[in-house]
Amino acid sequence: MANMIMASSKTLITSPPTPKSTPTPIPSLTTLTPKFSFSIPPKTLTIATTIATTLAATPLPSLAEEFEKAQLFDFDLTLPIIAAEFLFLMFTLDKLYYSPLGNFMDKRDAEIKEKLSSVKDTSTEVKQLEEQAAAVMRAARAEISAALNKMKKETAAEVDAKLAEGRKKVEAELQEALGNLEKQKEETIKSLDSQIAALSQEIVNKVLPVQ
Amino acid sequence: MNVLSCSINTLNGLYDLSGVEVGQHFYWKIGGFQVHGQVLITSWVVIAILLGSAALAVRNPQTIPTGGQNFFEYVLEFIRDVSKTQIGEEYGPWVPFIGTMFLFIFVSNWSGALLPWKIIQLPHGELAAPTNDINTTVALALLTSVAYFYAGLTKKGLSYFGKYIQPTPILLPINILEDFTKPLSLSFRLFGNILADELVVVVLVSLVPSVVPIPVMFLGLFTSGIQALIFATLAAAYIGESMEGHH
Repeated sequence: MANMIMASSKTLITSPPTPKSTPTPIPSLTTLTPKFSFSIPPKTLTIATTIATTLAATPLPSLAEEFEKAQLFDFDLTLPIIAAEFLFLMFTLDKLYYSPLGNFMDKRDAEIKEKLSSVKDTSTEVKQLEEQAAAVMRAARAEISAALNKMKKETAAEVDAKLAEGRKKVEAELQEALGNLEKQKEETIKSLDSQIAALSQEIVNKVLPVQ
Repeated sequence: MNVLSCSINTLNGLYDLSGVEVGQHFYWKIGGFQVHGQVLITSWVVIAILLGSAALAVRNPQTIPTGGQNFFEYVLEFIRDVSKTQIGEEYGPWVPFIGTMFLFIFVSNWSGALLPWKIIQLPHGELAAPTNDINTTVALALLTSVAYFYAGLTKKGLSYFGKYIQPTPILLPINILEDFTKPLSLSFRLFGNILADELVVVVLVSLVPSVVPIPVMFLGLFTSGIQALIFATLAAAYIGESMEGHH
């Protein structure tokens, strides 16, 4: 990573490119590590020093070639193009997404709120309706009781009338019967009177000797 | 010298094995200027995804949202919430900016993690998340700077510059420096996070091709989302900061 960033600055890559495919005999790791052994053969020592010096002098020339175009912080026309693309995306998304859906959601929220408040209003309406219903019930009860009273009165009057009629009839019959009885009595008395006169004449005739 | 070239060869071998291509660009030439083609291609794909899905989901809004519309309403609510928290009551005009910032970065980051860009071979360089390139992040950060200057200037006119000597005039240099550090930190935070995430995944995949990279990939998804949110939130915070009245 550090190499890449280092390589990103173009001035560093000035070292002459080494030929990539150099047929080299592959040295074993042991030739690379004798630094750490105590007895250093002079030949390997010189190799090690050459490695160190060349490493210090040229920072991995072939790697640098590999990363010649590796530029992390490479500003070019991409930057303004991306900015323009972003602005285009912003306006298009606004036309396509934020504004329509936002307005739609706001409208729906307003509608829901309105409906909620109207529901609160209907609670008073319900109360009104209940009162109305109670009034209707009261009226109906009053009507029924009035009708009941009226009927009671009517039936009572009828009964009274019938009673009076019956009484009158009975009285009339009684009167008649009494009259009849009186008449019969008088008749009997009359007949008795005449019989009495005859009987008293007979008695007189019997008691008194005929002169 | 032989030994040296050998060690370099082995290094190259390792390098080829890992397949990391950092700072390699697929250059296009437009009127004498160089352009990073891979960034533009992936950004077009991201823009197409955003516009297409939004158009499809919001085409015919229903009172009772379902599926895509529901999701996009949730996203819009989220963006509005972020803008409102950072900017305050006058957040309305800034919703498109903050929202696009969030969505573009988020979809870019996730496209880098989820879409198999690497299948498509380029002559040079490779396709990756657009936010993987410093040009993209710097463009977004500079737009944020422009946005908060615009917000402050339209809200308060030239008295906006009074904030530079606000607590005391001694802080003037620091306040001016802030205008440079803000875009710098914004762009490098995003760039570094996304690049590092992709590098970690690529290197891990090259070392242990199965199972082991999966947690790191999930971590990458998580950081990608977080970075998008951080960028959008900070942009909104800067805008809100320049709009708020100082006494």
